[in-house]
Amino acid sequence: MSKDSSYIQANPEPKQEKQEGKESSLVEKIQQLGSTNVPQLSHDSRIHCLTIIGQIEGHIQLPPQNKTTKYEHVIPQIVAIEQNPKIEGLLIVLNTVGGDVEAGLAIAEMLASLSKPTVSIVLGGGHSIGVPIAVSCDYSFIAETATMTIHPVRLTGLVIGVPQTFEYLDKMQDRVVNFVTKHSKITEEKFKELMFSKGNLTRDIGTNVVGNDAVDYGLIDGVGGVGQAIMKLNELIGNANVETSKENMLQ
Amino acid sequence: MILYTSMPEELIFPVQSSDYESVSTIEVNGLQMVVRQTEQNQYEIVRILSTDPQHYLIENYSPGQKICMTFSFSS
Repeated sequence: MSKDSSYIQANPEPKQEKQEGKESSLVEKIQQLGSTNVPQLSHDSRIHCLTIIGQIEGHIQLPPQNKTTKYEHVIPQIVAIEQNPKIEGLLIVLNTVGGDVEAGLAIAEMLASLSKPTVSIVLGGGHSIGVPIAVSCDYSFIAETATMTIHPVRLTGLVIGVPQTFEYLDKMQDRVVNFVTKHSKITEEKFKELMFSKGNLTRDIGTNVVGNDAVDYGLIDGVGGVGQAIMKLNELIGNANVETSKENMLQ
Repeated sequence: MILYTSMPEELIFPVQSSDYESVSTIEVNGLQMVVRQTEQNQYEIVRILSTDPQHYLIENYSPGQKICMTFSFSS
């Protein structure tokens, strides 16, 4: 902030009012976007981008200072993407700490059942319920420095101390494990081993898997960033187009 | 004081309902966005809710831009 204010002070007495307005919007742009102008694309984009950021919100609305991915925002967007013929592929960018199991699994199921090619990139972190979302896509990438925390499902807040609570949690966990093993190359044994290992996380059970390790375990398909992801997505779109044209030829 | 607990923060420190009121989700020209009220009738764009990368390049709707908005009720 101090840099910005000194920037304004360094330009005393703007000559015209119009210029002043222009300058303040320039300062605003630098403050908000870090640059004065953003590149403009000329044509409609056939690849859409869905960002899963912050916490995945469940049934309770989190305070506005939390960054959240809301069920009611994401699901209709996926439905719209499925229906829009102009959209050919979807890129999922993940930087999430996890959140509600049900909402997370719902998004993952929606992405897995999408008929269009999907590619995900884990940038920063794709923790706990972010893992099923990352693996739900046709192809998944992880940045070399990005991490994914795999840990058991747990309840926060008010827990009823009866054996049934544990069984309920166990069933919920099986859903996550089944989804991940079904949609990635990791085995159930390995995933559970990572989930229940001790000593990797301070004061917690689980494993923090970094970039290359996630690929080695078979959880994620490749290490890469936005360039590789878009290239892969274009390749998948190309394959899908070839298949549909073949079908048309047969008909 | 350090508080170690498995309880979510919002259960221990309840959020004031006025915090929720300052932020709202609106739709402008078919584009959904989250806005925060800065002054009377003036709102600042916090975040755009869209999957189309093109929408993020519209200068008028980039985060931080101010938009004016008034509520009116007609019977």
